[in-house]
Amino acid sequence: MRSACGIVAACSLLGALALADVACAQEPTPIPPHETRIVGLWLTTDYPVLSEPMGKDVKLSLALENKQLPPVRVALSVKGLPDGWEWKFTGDNRPVGAAIVDSDSSVKLGLDLTPPKGAEAKTYGFMIIGKSEGRVLELPVSLSLTAAEPASVTIEPKLPALRGTPKSTFDYQVTVRNEGAEEQLFNLLAQSPPGFQVVFKEQYGSQELTSLPVKAGESKDLKVSVTPANDAAAGQYPVMMQVVSPESSAQTQLVLDITGQAKLALAGPDGRLSGEATAGKEKTFTFAIGNTGTAPAQGVKMSANAPSGWKVDFAPAMIDVIQPDQKVDVAATMTPSDKAIAGDYVVTVRANGDGASDNAAFRITVLTSTLWGVAGLGVIGAAVIVLAVAVTRYGRR
Amino acid sequence: MRREGSPFTGLSTVALKEAADHMTSARMHLAMLLVLLTAIGAIYGAIGQIKNTVGQDPFLFLRLFTTARDPLPSFVSFLGFLLPLLAIALAFDAINGEYSRRTMSRILAQPIYRDGLLAGKFLGGLIVLTICLVTLWLLVTGLGILTLGLPPSGEEVLRGIGFLLCCIAYSGVWLAVALLFSTVFRSPATSALAALSLWLLFTVFWSMLAPLIASAAAPVDQFDPMSVVTNAELQQGIARASPFTLFGEMTLGLLHPATRALGLIFFGQLQGAVMGAPLPFSQSALLVWPQFAGLIAAMIVVFTIAYVVFQRQEIRA
Repeated sequence: MRSACGIVAACSLLGALALADVACAQEPTPIPPHETRIVGLWLTTDYPVLSEPMGKDVKLSLALENKQLPPVRVALSVKGLPDGWEWKFTGDNRPVGAAIVDSDSSVKLGLDLTPPKGAEAKTYGFMIIGKSEGRVLELPVSLSLTAAEPASVTIEPKLPALRGTPKSTFDYQVTVRNEGAEEQLFNLLAQSPPGFQVVFKEQYGSQELTSLPVKAGESKDLKVSVTPANDAAAGQYPVMMQVVSPESSAQTQLVLDITGQAKLALAGPDGRLSGEATAGKEKTFTFAIGNTGTAPAQGVKMSANAPSGWKVDFAPAMIDVIQPDQKVDVAATMTPSDKAIAGDYVVTVRANGDGASDNAAFRITVLTSTLWGVAGLGVIGAAVIVLAVAVTRYGRR
Repeated sequence: MRREGSPFTGLSTVALKEAADHMTSARMHLAMLLVLLTAIGAIYGAIGQIKNTVGQDPFLFLRLFTTARDPLPSFVSFLGFLLPLLAIALAFDAINGEYSRRTMSRILAQPIYRDGLLAGKFLGGLIVLTICLVTLWLLVTGLGILTLGLPPSGEEVLRGIGFLLCCIAYSGVWLAVALLFSTVFRSPATSALAALSLWLLFTVFWSMLAPLIASAAAPVDQFDPMSVVTNAELQQGIARASPFTLFGEMTLGLLHPATRALGLIFFGQLQGAVMGAPLPFSQSALLVWPQFAGLIAAMIVVFTIAYVVFQRQEIRA
């Protein structure tokens, strides 16, 4: 048999030689010396020496090849595996026990090996055997079980601390890297202070995400948008971000540095934005300026945009500081022009602080003086006096 | 010889008798019929116009008085035109009619002074005018409620009453004027013609004359803006000598609540003003008060002149 093998090798191509080396189980066939075609039956595999991580099934792909021979039935089995190992041949995804190969064709087969639970990490050698009438094909395989690589993931924010006002949105760029050997699906979680909203998004997109698949060894960027609570006081707020898959998890801390913002609210007397004043006479209205923001309002100046000829004074004209949730009363003394006509005028009252301001359109109903009414009465009185004089002079005739 | 007692003894008797005579006279009936028909026509037109055009208006009732629909003028313009006619019809022969009927000496033979007679005749006319106007006002308001289907608001009622008072004062002036002419002229036809020509002058021609007189008295200089102001003010002052102008301004102030001033307004006064906002009634009343006071004073002064003229007349049996 060995000599026959040598003959075939001598008169074959280099590739055929390699094949013959792997599957050295064939029938010596008489070949005409002028023929260079190979003849025989082989059982082959792509990788006869391989290593696999522990705790997983091992799949081998096999091929049964027939060159120039009539169809052959080959029964398959495995020899040399330790106890507890399970094996199974498959063909077209079905368990098979034997295969028939036509002449000049091949059959693809698979071998599923299931190591036992406590299999040791070492090299196992075994033989795959195909039996046909009078022929035995043997294929030695060496399988090394290696300790499984732990699945792991890292997340890395590009800029972990951002600063802004309670009105701004904090966008963090976060890179999720799957350092395990397999693709994993990560759930995205975040722990934020109450009232804060955390949204995960694609890096360039508006879709909100709840989970993120990452292939082994690859990384993905995502955007974490944090919207602070509207009334968040100035200060630093941590947000814990977590990616969790069944195998692994990782977390990182994002920090929001919220700077406070002053917000002024101007309200008229008794909450109304209207009042009455007599032309040419001063009238005092009490305005209330509140700070509804989160930081003190500094240097709030009062001013008014009044029609020409009007006088508007504020006491105090300048408030040094208004703390958040504090209200300050300001007396506005308005003197409509003595030329103002009766009816409604609008005076715009403004409060301007550093970075915060508010204004209110204050509607003043100007009343005219009743002096002319008295003058009218005087005219009528004069007429009556003239009549009375006429009566005393010419009366009783 | 010094006479005793109040000069106005018998005033009420004369006034009531005069009013009763007017109420039954054919002349009065005709004049009233004319006023009524035109008024109803104007109101009918106004209602149609309001239903067609005005969607929402806080002073819908006042629109009834001021809305005009072609070819009819508004109720207010009708009154401004016809009220003097009614007043003249009542008083143009008040005194000279007594002369021509030769009843003057008979009346004065009664224990009544001339004072009482003249004042009674004037008051009688005023009573009749007032009754007519109140009736007309109620009629219009009722017609409005009936056709518009909503009651007038308190403010509208106040403004309506103010308007009624203005109408009475306006017709009172013309009553006094007619009384004066009937005292001055012996012939009723002359006094009627004189009163009617004065009426025509004031209602039709005065608005044309006022600019002419103003530009003659204070010409406008192209390069002096103040001359324009002086001219405009003078023109307005002359125009206001006519009761017709005063009546127009009063109705404008009372029936258009958004009216804020009746005279010349400078741009600076309008800066920051809210346009179209209605004035409170008290302010509107204050706005038209000078015009109203002027009419009342004019009425008294004209009556006083008539009184002096009448007292100085020689009356023979």
